[in-house]
Amino acid sequence: MATRALLAVLSASPPRMIQTKVSTFSSSSSLSFQRHSRRIARCFSSDTNPSVLQPPDVSRLAETARISLTPSEIEECGAKIRQVIHWFGQLQQVDVSCVEPAIRAEMEGGNLREDAPETFENRDSIRASIPSFDEVYLKVPKVLNKE
Amino acid sequence: MSTTLLRTIQPNHFTLLGTALFRRNRTTTTSRHISVRCLGSQTASSQPRTAPKNHGSNKLDEILRDYEAVIGIETHVQLSTSTKAFCTCPNTYGSKPNTSICPVCMGLPGALPVLSSKVVDFGVRLGLALNCGLSLKSKFDRKQYFYPDLPKGYQISQFDVPIASGGYVDVDIPLEFGGGHRRFGITRVHMEEDAGKLLHSDTGDYSQVDLNRAGVPLLEIVSEPDMRSGIEAAEYGSEMQRIVRYLGVSNGNMQEGSLRCDVNISIRPIGQAQFGTKVEIKNLNAFSAMSRAIDYEITRQALLYNQGQADQIVTETRLWDEGAQKTVTMRKKEGLADYRYFPEPDLPEVILTQEYVDSIRASLPELPEAKRRRYEAMGLGIQDVLFLANDVSVAEYFDQVIGKGADVKSAANWLMSDIAAYLKNEELSISDVKLTPQELAELIAAIKDETISGKIGKQILFELLAKGGTVQGMIKEKDLVQITDPVEIEKMIMKVISESPKQLEQYRSGRTKLQGFFAGQVMKMSKGKANPALLNKILLEKLDAKE
Repeated sequence: MATRALLAVLSASPPRMIQTKVSTFSSSSSLSFQRHSRRIARCFSSDTNPSVLQPPDVSRLAETARISLTPSEIEECGAKIRQVIHWFGQLQQVDVSCVEPAIRAEMEGGNLREDAPETFENRDSIRASIPSFDEVYLKVPKVLNKE
Repeated sequence: MSTTLLRTIQPNHFTLLGTALFRRNRTTTTSRHISVRCLGSQTASSQPRTAPKNHGSNKLDEILRDYEAVIGIETHVQLSTSTKAFCTCPNTYGSKPNTSICPVCMGLPGALPVLSSKVVDFGVRLGLALNCGLSLKSKFDRKQYFYPDLPKGYQISQFDVPIASGGYVDVDIPLEFGGGHRRFGITRVHMEEDAGKLLHSDTGDYSQVDLNRAGVPLLEIVSEPDMRSGIEAAEYGSEMQRIVRYLGVSNGNMQEGSLRCDVNISIRPIGQAQFGTKVEIKNLNAFSAMSRAIDYEITRQALLYNQGQADQIVTETRLWDEGAQKTVTMRKKEGLADYRYFPEPDLPEVILTQEYVDSIRASLPELPEAKRRRYEAMGLGIQDVLFLANDVSVAEYFDQVIGKGADVKSAANWLMSDIAAYLKNEELSISDVKLTPQELAELIAAIKDETISGKIGKQILFELLAKGGTVQGMIKEKDLVQITDPVEIEKMIMKVISESPKQLEQYRSGRTKLQGFFAGQVMKMSKGKANPALLNKILLEKLDAKE
């Protein structure tokens, strides 16, 4: 959850910072873009100083996370989120130019599974924990044509 | 799904465009119908492209003199694996709702995804079949969005390093739409998981969710914006369906949603370098609908251009309304959706070895394009070729028949006429019929060497299709061997003539049409076994002979 919240924070920065966004949350991944696909790297090329991060637009952030905040809550959150971003700004200053970029952590041996089906025994308790269940379906507020 | 990525790649096309326009200017003497391929240089076709005919619609042809449509397609293929992509829940269509679920696909805390090897296998297969380059190291990413059909709040997909990219596919445009061969670029193929199914009740203020499909493996195929008409797009879609069926990676069934195509389309005045505003069309559950939806959309956008209202073409998702035969606004997009992609921390990278890739390459079946070219080289016409290669089981059947030494053209004719009609009437597929390829070859040979007549052949064909058995057995059992002995045929002719003095007189006084009556009588007497050519030859001699 922490990662997700953080990403939401970063993407909620004003549009001008889109380029910074990617290089901010993971410098290694931005490097690997360049290594693996030059045409993609083009749009991620970052010439901004990563330590200068824009303060978040908390209202937009709240909307992205589908939560409603009161004006006073927005103010309260704003300060906390700025702290987190500042911390990332510090990380961003670490010189990693001599480190070989990795797409993912490497793992020993096979990490795939056979395509053999196995039914999960305790399905009833999963269904029982769903707050709104309508015979066989999950019941949710009408969401037609909403994004 | 990969609109974001398409966007980022677009600038490349603008640079290519300059040279293409230059070429176009130098070919102004040729018809303006010839559209110069200007996107994806690697896919440039060697043949000149003429604009395909579109349902004989003059209106559309007129529009296409002034405007060029640019069409790209995203195809989602649901894989026929036994399990979901990242958990062992059974992947079955049509189960009781919300029964194929577990903590992984329900996104419960602490559950960890493990990728099925079959998904990788299918991804490599499809990537190779589409002439793509493979990433020996690829990875998964999380695509975040909130929607009730997505329990985790994100979809596991591949963002910047897909398993395959940079390929192409070759298709033949059917003759009735102008014919010709086209090559369309494939931008990428990536692995991802499906979302659940949402049902919107007409009454009530709620929606229902079935999560059996959540986590089912998909391959998404993104095309280059290389198509220029509804026909080309529909042919591209059909070829994707053929390829996934030939490969056995999916049943490709559009009604069940195993193959879903989303179309991106814009038009621009011919000669304009800049792309027009792109509109996405969804809800296309048949290739014919796809073709009609695109033609409708081209007409709609051209009309707005012509009325000076090009600014009313906005970035939006439109739905194809089959009843009204038009596209309608589903939702307008306010800016690009922000999916906040980041690498999936719960899954390791996907590593392929060269040996693994080579072994899959070696195991690939003959693909539709190779089959079509082989059939063409055997001397079959393009219509026969397209029919036979369209359905993998028909193609395999045909290959077995000619493998037994049957005449190629005869085998094609039997399959395309009588057998196809039988299958249609009985609502069967070729794999359901009792007639083995071996026996169809026997039947063709028996007619060719005149053991039986073509007419008798047809009669026993239907019996063989329904009940099985052997041609030789049936010929013996029913005493069907063709009569080719002239003396025997002559005997029968003389008997018929002597029994019909009235008709003979009428014939000799000028009603020569009565020859048919005599031929019918003789054929009846021979129980259909007389060789028709021989019969007619001798009959004429006898009828015209002066006494």
